[in-house]
Amino acid sequence: MNQAVISCLHANLPALEAVLKDIEFQGITNITCLGDLVGYGPQPNEVIQLIRDKKIPTCQGCWDEDVVDGLDACDCSYPSQLAEKRGHFAHQWTTDKLTKENKDYLANLPYSIRKDKCLFVHGSPNSQHEYLLPDMDAFAALERVENARAEILFCGHTHQPYIRELADGSIAVKIKNAAPKDIQEKEIQLPMRRIVNAGSVGEPRHGGTKATYVVHNEVTNEVKIREVEYDLELTCKAIIDAGLPPIFAWRLKNGFEFAEQAEDASHVCER
Amino acid sequence: MIERWALVSGLKGDLDTYELIQKDLKKTQGNITLFVLGDIIGPEKNCNRLLHRLINPKSNDLQPWCIYGWWEEQILLESGYRGDQRAEALRINKGEEVVKSLTNAVDKSFLDWIAALQFGFVELDCGLIHGSSKDIGENLTLDTPPLTLLDRLTRLQVNRLFTARSKKQFHLELTQGTVNSEVEDLNGNRKKEQKVPQKAVIGIGAGKNYTLYDVGTDNTQFVQAGYKSEKRIKGFGML
Repeated sequence: MNQAVISCLHANLPALEAVLKDIEFQGITNITCLGDLVGYGPQPNEVIQLIRDKKIPTCQGCWDEDVVDGLDACDCSYPSQLAEKRGHFAHQWTTDKLTKENKDYLANLPYSIRKDKCLFVHGSPNSQHEYLLPDMDAFAALERVENARAEILFCGHTHQPYIRELADGSIAVKIKNAAPKDIQEKEIQLPMRRIVNAGSVGEPRHGGTKATYVVHNEVTNEVKIREVEYDLELTCKAIIDAGLPPIFAWRLKNGFEFAEQAEDASHVCER
Repeated sequence: MIERWALVSGLKGDLDTYELIQKDLKKTQGNITLFVLGDIIGPEKNCNRLLHRLINPKSNDLQPWCIYGWWEEQILLESGYRGDQRAEALRINKGEEVVKSLTNAVDKSFLDWIAALQFGFVELDCGLIHGSSKDIGENLTLDTPPLTLLDRLTRLQVNRLFTARSKKQFHLELTQGTVNSEVEDLNGNRKKEQKVPQKAVIGIGAGKNYTLYDVGTDNTQFVQAGYKSEKRIKGFGML
């Protein structure tokens, strides 16, 4: 049985509609969303409403959290002061637009969803703000999955889809400074684990303009990254019409890969 | 001249133990740097005399370099230094009486000094912290999974991590290891083998039990204040 995992919708209704249509076309009814329903995009209420209407289980993303609790990420979230200024503007715009009902909905979203061996989070099991990048330290990546007691960790936040398998691991340890009879050496075998990043529906940062999501076969464990075209012009026009920073439209249109991502994306925001 | 670090924690207001350690260190060979890795205060004793001594060392005292620990975090929480948060974990686990004892044990005039203490030090390629790089309250011991230990080392980007929270004394080396990583994204597939660099986690003990670290040789010595140094006998717990 296949399940679809979507993330980072960012108030982009045409992209979400296109992705849901693609999922439906494949006959998949089991969908999980990894949060960031709002932020940057021009249709926050419409996107939330669609997710609610479809009754899609959803985690709380960093934007969803910040819109409810106020901005509490540190400056590390942005690569420049200008980007931060734009981010804060989008935050305020979104906060003003959202209905109370939708704010309450975002406020009550869980940090994570667990289904058997699968754990679904926005950023990482530690924080909605932590980026699990595809090439981050392999042991640190494995630790995130293992300490969350999952076999497959589904995450988003980076806007770059990937599937990472961590296998054949071991660590050897030795006690130093003990009596000779107590000096022990051991080799611990590490379990095989996977991290699956669903990319982004509403604000792709993979170098192209297509929305992305993933399909996971729960029987074979196979994971596929799906790319979906949507009416980009419609979203870009809505961004401009809404008075949001034009660069938000420009980067969607150009598939700008590194949009608003801090230089050290592996940094864990301590807030 | 041999360079050594003396690593102390968990004094919890005990000036007598601190004086005993200072006395020990005067007799210890080498150029000694004294680090106090938190839990300077606690609810059991009045801590003002120890705090005063750390802030105003006697002329023949080794200068102490202090960081904050779990008990310091509790008093800062309870005293409003962390916004609206209070020491709820302490209150729930130990009760209101202990919260009251803690706040009574430390004169308010010391709170700004405590609040100015750092979370940890990075010296050479070593991290000196109270708990772990993830959480000041985290116990790292011989029973902690090596993957977790490696992660806590990686977060600080250090090769040795000195920790105090568990109160245990141990020196655990991560000697070797490997993991294979395969990433598939829109650009294709890539494989990489990552190896474990040699690293170590050292539990420094608490109270009278402290640790001497020889910077040049990477050797640790587990010491009890007032007694000759001893090599600790430790076995693995459940790894």
